Amino acid sequence: MADAEGAPPAAVALRRSVGVVTATATSAGLAFAAIDYLGVVSIMAFAPGATAALAILFGAVLVLLVAGIFSELNGLYPTAAGIRLYLTRAVGYRTALSVSFTYMTTVVLVIAADAFLIGAAVRHVLHEPSALAYVWIAVLLSLAWAANLRGVRLAGWVQTLVTYSVLSGTAVLSVIALFHVGGGLHRPFDLFGKSAFSGIQALAFALFLYAAFEWVTTTAEEARTPRVITRALFIAPVLIWIVATLFALALTHLVPFSVLHHSAYPQLLMGKAALGTVGELWMLALTVLTALNTFNGGFLVASRFIYAAAREGNLPRQFAQLNLNAVPWLAVTTLAGVSAVVAATVFATGEWLLLVAVGAAIESAIYALGSLSLLILRRRETRERTFRLVAGRPLTAFGVVLFTGLFLATGFSDPKDASRFSAAPIAIIAVLGALSTGYVLVFVPRLQAAAANRAAANRPRRRPHRPTKAVEETGSGTTPSVDA
Amino acid sequence: MADWDELAEALADYTISCNTNERLRKMQREWSRTLHFVCADNGTTFSMEVDRGEILSTPEGHVGIPDIVVTTQSETFCDMFWGDLNPVAKYLRGEITVKGSQEDVMRLDAISSVIWPDA
Repeated sequence: MADAEGAPPAAVALRRSVGVVTATATSAGLAFAAIDYLGVVSIMAFAPGATAALAILFGAVLVLLVAGIFSELNGLYPTAAGIRLYLTRAVGYRTALSVSFTYMTTVVLVIAADAFLIGAAVRHVLHEPSALAYVWIAVLLSLAWAANLRGVRLAGWVQTLVTYSVLSGTAVLSVIALFHVGGGLHRPFDLFGKSAFSGIQALAFALFLYAAFEWVTTTAEEARTPRVITRALFIAPVLIWIVATLFALALTHLVPFSVLHHSAYPQLLMGKAALGTVGELWMLALTVLTALNTFNGGFLVASRFIYAAAREGNLPRQFAQLNLNAVPWLAVTTLAGVSAVVAATVFATGEWLLLVAVGAAIESAIYALGSLSLLILRRRETRERTFRLVAGRPLTAFGVVLFTGLFLATGFSDPKDASRFSAAPIAIIAVLGALSTGYVLVFVPRLQAAAANRAAANRPRRRPHRPTKAVEETGSGTTPSVDA
Repeated sequence: MADWDELAEALADYTISCNTNERLRKMQREWSRTLHFVCADNGTTFSMEVDRGEILSTPEGHVGIPDIVVTTQSETFCDMFWGDLNPVAKYLRGEITVKGSQEDVMRLDAISSVIWPDA
């Protein structure tokens, strides 16, 4: 008989399932947040002018490699556990857990960044004092928190509509901007114009524009067919590439970099330069729309991760407590609180580009680890999968080296001043990684021991004992699982 | 390997535990789903019809169009329905596979979490 573990997904027609259009929207929507507008400016810091478009193109090519790697991983393990399970199978449980904890901090960073950026954009358009951005951050996160606690979810079609509206709205206004007379496209192929290293850093930041597109693998369980996720993984980066390229060219065309570089809302500046107040409001509306996807997807992914970790005994069990809407209320509340603190800190320090650098570096590290996982699993897993990367071994080995290099390139970058290096991004990641690893090594064993003791003391086994079965079926799991 | 009789016994207990838990019924008040289960080791299949949080029936075989399909070993199902096993750990290790929306998977685990908080 087949083992459930690793069994190929059965071809089952579910009453509700996700097709290619929705899965692509999910992938693109998770990736394209308000912080991506700043991401484009970060690329322009290293790849001046229209050269940014070249970096975004090279980034797209690399992301297609990532799409291939995650497609094969998803074909092996089509589960919402995603990267956590890939890593567990490849490099072990503890490493996977500590990487997952670090990875989840990027979700907090993106939620915080979006709250800050949208707050700053709204305040700017309404011509309010800058301190009022704090109020907008609090209002936005409170709304997201309350909606999540009530179990409010964006319906699939709304999420799809929002994503395609944001992408097409940004693309259309960028095209309008490109037809605007008065600007100029400068230095289109000057990728290494600033320094020999600048092109590599520009490429690393370009990857950030696509960051989180691979999270669509967590919806594998609701996909109509396994190939739906593969197609979404390949189509979504192309959509983002088109939109980000048009946006980068429009920015170059109409807004001087010296103005962009100190702004938290480059998209509003582009909108205003292209169509005046209408363009500014247009881009503000799109920026606010991105929040729907970020807050809906971000809160959902992170709070469910926390819930699962608590249920598994890897976090205090209070994080698994559910309210009457079946929402892990403490996980959601903690997320909102931490995001508010991070957003306020970013606002107070003005270090929003540092957030981009940290996010870009973590994403490169995840791509390197994804490549490493597939490299290892290719030796161990012989099962059929719905997608197999052509020239998989050399490409995954190349991926490990390349993305590790890009991780270091972003980790030591200073997007505020492309001419110098900074250890701040990698220092933040090192602290996050050390905290995660320390927690996994020191606190998780204690939590699990306490949970096991509690279960043994409070709760005897309920299943009636059947001695004849136990003798008959050695090793088939008639004893309670150690997980219980 | 558990046979259908053992599974039915576990399901009967699970049904009573779920349907008599007021907090769970309130939590799942808007949750109506058809669940299909597949035992990967012996091929046994069964269904569960849930209407506004109440388990109406758990017949052998697959009935209706499913919202969720859960596949694992028959022993794991038995332990899970008796509340002797935490399904999340098995799920995160890929030993339980699920087809269905993340929200439904979460709701399914919420049942175990509420009726057996110490499991």
